[in-house]
Amino acid sequence: MTTTEYALRTDGLGKRYRRTWALRDCTLSVPTGRVIALVGPNGAGKSTLLRLVVGLLAPTSGTVEVLGQSPAANTPQVLSRIGFLAQEHPLYKHFTVADLLHMGRSCNLRFDQGLAERRLAQLDIPLDRKAGALSGGQQAQVALALALAKRPDLLVLDEPMASLDPVARLEFLQALMGAVAADGMTVLFSSHVVPELERVCDHLIVLNHSRVTLAGDIETLLAEHRLLVGPRTTADLDKAGTVVEASHSDRHTTLLVRDGGGPTAPGWQANPIGLEDLVLAYLRRPTRHDVEAPAFSEVPA
Amino acid sequence: MTWLAWRQHRAEVFTLSLLVAAIGLFLLVAGSSMRSLFPDGAAACAGGLTDGSDACSTAIRRLNEEHGYASKMLSLLNLVPFLIGAFLGAPLVARELEAGTWQFAWTQAVPRMRWLAVKLGALGALTATLAVALTASITWYRQPLDVLNSRFTTDAFDLEGLVPAGYALFAFAAATAAGAVLRRSLPALAVALGAYLAVRVVVAGWLRPNVQAPRSIMERVAADDATLDAGGSRISTGDRADWIIASGYADPSGRHLSVYEAVEMDVAARAAGVDFSAYMHERGIQQWVLYHPADRFWMFQLIEAAIFVGLAAALLALVVWRIKRRVF
Repeated sequence: MTTTEYALRTDGLGKRYRRTWALRDCTLSVPTGRVIALVGPNGAGKSTLLRLVVGLLAPTSGTVEVLGQSPAANTPQVLSRIGFLAQEHPLYKHFTVADLLHMGRSCNLRFDQGLAERRLAQLDIPLDRKAGALSGGQQAQVALALALAKRPDLLVLDEPMASLDPVARLEFLQALMGAVAADGMTVLFSSHVVPELERVCDHLIVLNHSRVTLAGDIETLLAEHRLLVGPRTTADLDKAGTVVEASHSDRHTTLLVRDGGGPTAPGWQANPIGLEDLVLAYLRRPTRHDVEAPAFSEVPA
Repeated sequence: MTWLAWRQHRAEVFTLSLLVAAIGLFLLVAGSSMRSLFPDGAAACAGGLTDGSDACSTAIRRLNEEHGYASKMLSLLNLVPFLIGAFLGAPLVARELEAGTWQFAWTQAVPRMRWLAVKLGALGALTATLAVALTASITWYRQPLDVLNSRFTTDAFDLEGLVPAGYALFAFAAATAAGAVLRRSLPALAVALGAYLAVRVVVAGWLRPNVQAPRSIMERVAADDATLDAGGSRISTGDRADWIIASGYADPSGRHLSVYEAVEMDVAARAAGVDFSAYMHERGIQQWVLYHPADRFWMFQLIEAAIFVGLAAALLALVVWRIKRRVF
């Protein structure tokens, strides 16, 4: 695989604001063509990571590479390959939609005005309306149309649906997925709502306390993890370092392990885990563990 | 990118152009009526108020009566270079930060340094152009006044020549920098106004008189000088267009006398029944004046304009540095 076949690579990436680190030791490799969900609680550093990826911020430490180029270089070439939708999808509110399209044309190397106009016509968004007079859902759609008209190879969206009502949310997701299906671009978006991701994403990055705690293709991650239920025990079960989380009820102990499957110890039952529970388990973990899966070994019991 | 800059700032451009045009129109009307007082040109009456012909004294009396508001109006016009610069500068960065649109603007295919260069270049040039247009109309309006009086008075010096463009560029840079630091347009405007007034007061009040060492004249009081006044010396420099910094009396050794001492002498002269001038002459009292000759006008303009343009450049460098560092 050549470097350009990675949509995104970071190595030891970190960003510090004065004395606090918003992001630390972030090392990721994401192949092209994925739809990547970046998940984490508010303040985990999601926006910081996305701004580093699109070149709005420069790293304090480490490197970031998008499609083999450094976004921090801020050249027209790398900028034109990345589409970005910031949180709250900011637009010039006193511009008409037509003005925004004009701006897109005058500020980009390639800008597919026809594509944007067709998308907006499908959504019945009038071109002569001021952006500020549109509903929140329509503004998000306009911002998306502008970002897609750049024909980006990587589309980055920061909490694109956070401010939308359920209907607008669904419409936005449909528009986004339609575009992905048509163009095959790589999409990276952040969210703190897990259920909506499951249907659309195939790659996951979990960010917690400024660090990446889990990253990988969702299918692989779900296959590597399983829930083990057995008799209650308070002994130290994590001899092999594969236990992500242990919880205890009166009679049972439930373990979330990352061991890649394998035989189960007597008295223990293995169950698959859903994406939402998996994410929540990693978000609940107080301290940092290695992102990479440890060597698979037998389950304790 | 130029289209974006134009579309974003056209409202301010229209408003400020309209303001400058309206001021120009008013000055055209008022200036024409001022000129009509001097059918042979104001230069014919520039000899002085006292030795002018009848026509000249009438014209100058009417000038004082009908155009006495000029001084107040002109001091108000001192704010216009600020308005021009600050209203173009304050929203330049601050409005993007306020509305979050910096993330939108700086992720198009225009690198942010180019974005900034276009904006600063276009709006800075516009600031200077509007200030020059304002200066031109004020200078035209003031022509009779400039012939009759010194161009070094604040009414004239602050509104003519090169300095108004310098003031406007300084206001532009101060508002832009304040906006980039405070991230909001309105507080940026307020901070820029404070900075503008402070720097202008310091420069005009303290720096300008000391740009170059003033010339001085000191001479013994004539025994028969009827114009002598205990309140202060009215010694002439020989050119009404010179800028008088200070004047007064001094004893034979050259020590400056206070107003109190001069008044005491006047009282003593009256008590002795002698003319004030004769009394002073007898004691070897001298009159002195510190002044800048009228021909220093353009050098002073150049130096003061350079100071303001230099400050503007430093503030814009701060803006460039902040945006280059990506602290937002």
